[in-house]
Amino acid sequence: MDASARQPGLRQTMAGLHTWAGLLVGWLLFAMFLTGTVSFFKDELSAWMRPELPLQSQVPDPAVTAQRVTDELSQIAAGSTQWGMRLPDQRNGTVGTFWRVPAAGGRRGFEEAQLDPLTGHRVSSRDTTGGEFFYRFHFQFHYMPVVWGRWLASICAMFMLVAIVSGVITHKKIFRDFFTFRWGKGQRSWLDAHNALSVFGLPFHAMITYTGLVTMMALVMPWGEQAAIQTPAERQELSSQLSAFIQPVTPTGQRVPLAPVDAMVRQAQARWGEHNVSRITISNPGDAAARVSVLRGESARVSMSPQYMLFDGGTGKLLEVQESVGAAAEARGVLYALHLGRFSDTAMRWLYFIVSLAGTAMVGTGLVMWTVKRRQGLSDPSRPHLGFRLVERLNIASIAGLSIAMTGFLWGNRLLPAALPGRGAWEIHLFFIVWALTLVHACLRTPKRAWVEQLWCAAVLLALLPIVNAVTTERPFWRSLGEGDAVFAGMDLMLWALAALHGALAIRTARHRKPVQARRAKPAPHSHTTDLAEQP
Amino acid sequence: MTHFIALLLCVAAFGALALAMERHQHDICGRALAASTTRRLRLAGWIGLGLALYVLVQAQGWGMALVSFSGHTSLAAGLVCAAMIVHARRRALHP
Repeated sequence: MDASARQPGLRQTMAGLHTWAGLLVGWLLFAMFLTGTVSFFKDELSAWMRPELPLQSQVPDPAVTAQRVTDELSQIAAGSTQWGMRLPDQRNGTVGTFWRVPAAGGRRGFEEAQLDPLTGHRVSSRDTTGGEFFYRFHFQFHYMPVVWGRWLASICAMFMLVAIVSGVITHKKIFRDFFTFRWGKGQRSWLDAHNALSVFGLPFHAMITYTGLVTMMALVMPWGEQAAIQTPAERQELSSQLSAFIQPVTPTGQRVPLAPVDAMVRQAQARWGEHNVSRITISNPGDAAARVSVLRGESARVSMSPQYMLFDGGTGKLLEVQESVGAAAEARGVLYALHLGRFSDTAMRWLYFIVSLAGTAMVGTGLVMWTVKRRQGLSDPSRPHLGFRLVERLNIASIAGLSIAMTGFLWGNRLLPAALPGRGAWEIHLFFIVWALTLVHACLRTPKRAWVEQLWCAAVLLALLPIVNAVTTERPFWRSLGEGDAVFAGMDLMLWALAALHGALAIRTARHRKPVQARRAKPAPHSHTTDLAEQP
Repeated sequence: MTHFIALLLCVAAFGALALAMERHQHDICGRALAASTTRRLRLAGWIGLGLALYVLVQAQGWGMALVSFSGHTSLAAGLVCAAMIVHARRRALHP
């Protein structure tokens, strides 16, 4: 690079860009990363949050289940123009159903219910959003219109992409320092940790950020679609390339009972495999215009492009099989699938989770490093300027505080009374109340104390949660272990592992001594021995 | 099983690649290794990574294999790095 005196080099410019792109949205990115990480286990989390539902011993036959649920829907959703169901699989023992209800207030409405695949009736479980909350929060936040949330998430993702590219350019010796970690060297150690977490998972971090933007592309860059797709026929063609969601049409008015759905599912099973049918959508049931689409499963298929069989709902005749889409749609389908990782087997799901957790830690170490790097440059470290204090406090609440809030959400799931009106919503309110309290706490305490106290608080809450679970449900750890209930036993073990992690971080933070500053004669007052920083 | 073999191969491969770097030779062996040994380690490392990819592709097909491979290499690199940190810490605490 041209290192002339006035012009900063490319690397330096990129370093500046990296720092500020990362900092500006870092707190939101950390939350998006962590809630997204746990969402790889969304179904397991949902199962854990509905402890009344029994452990699924084996996945019921999809054809039988589909027919049973269709019969039930014709009772509870009679008159609706569209029914949908997600069939149970290894990870999810209930049938998630939805049906269209007359639009209210100018918006098309849907109702949802979780049904028991063995009886077809509604499952009786506590009112909860389950793992769905973290999943939704991860890309559209909460307490704001969905579109705003998605815009905000898209902007954060773009900053992330900028941070990744500029970070790679800034990194001087990506290969020579590949395994380098220098222990106990203050800012150097933080940088090494940040580099290791970023570089080892770089393919994942770049992929997840880019594909995250792809999931939002119709929102962020709608112009191509607007220019190319204009007639209703074109819109329908586009929609069939992107999803198997068949829009209901105007009913003919001619009543025709729905043909047996199990026969349709059996045809799909013969084509794709016994347990490789994921969703069924039925439009205009009971009308001559009825259509049934049976969607292929996502396992071991790195693409979300819809593959489905379309049946005439009245006659049961197979109308169409879609097993491929255009190249552009397929590219989108692959990128979309990579982001969600739904094709994963258990081992791959864990890989996703672990590398994504490293990505979360990458954002976290980056945020903390901003303060570590600047603390040495402060004219008076006992009285940092407002910006510094702001970053410091926000770091505490957004990193340690988020752990507390997320654990609080799970505590709420176990402890809020079943009869509480809007119970599911209150679990979410509790999450935000706890999170806000951690920010208040971070502002009231000295930074180091705030870090240590919040990390300990998270560790204790995480460690006690399996106990709370044992007391409030019929599924304590020893029983889950005995019954081979991987979800409940795994959740308890994971909570303890995370408690240990937070405890270890708390101990290291508490032990941290401010490095001796040779140049500064006057020691800083005791209450300002400052925070975490300088050492991992 | 495929996942286990692939992860094992990746860890071994990254171990060899790390040992092929002079800085880590000093950390672990206390001296620089001969140039020929370094070359062989580097070659073994790359072959190990290639082999892991081969095993995954055979078992899962290209699409899934590339995703798995990315995950296994990330995790393996992290494990090797962590092992070297633990090694260095133990030497520092109990010389």
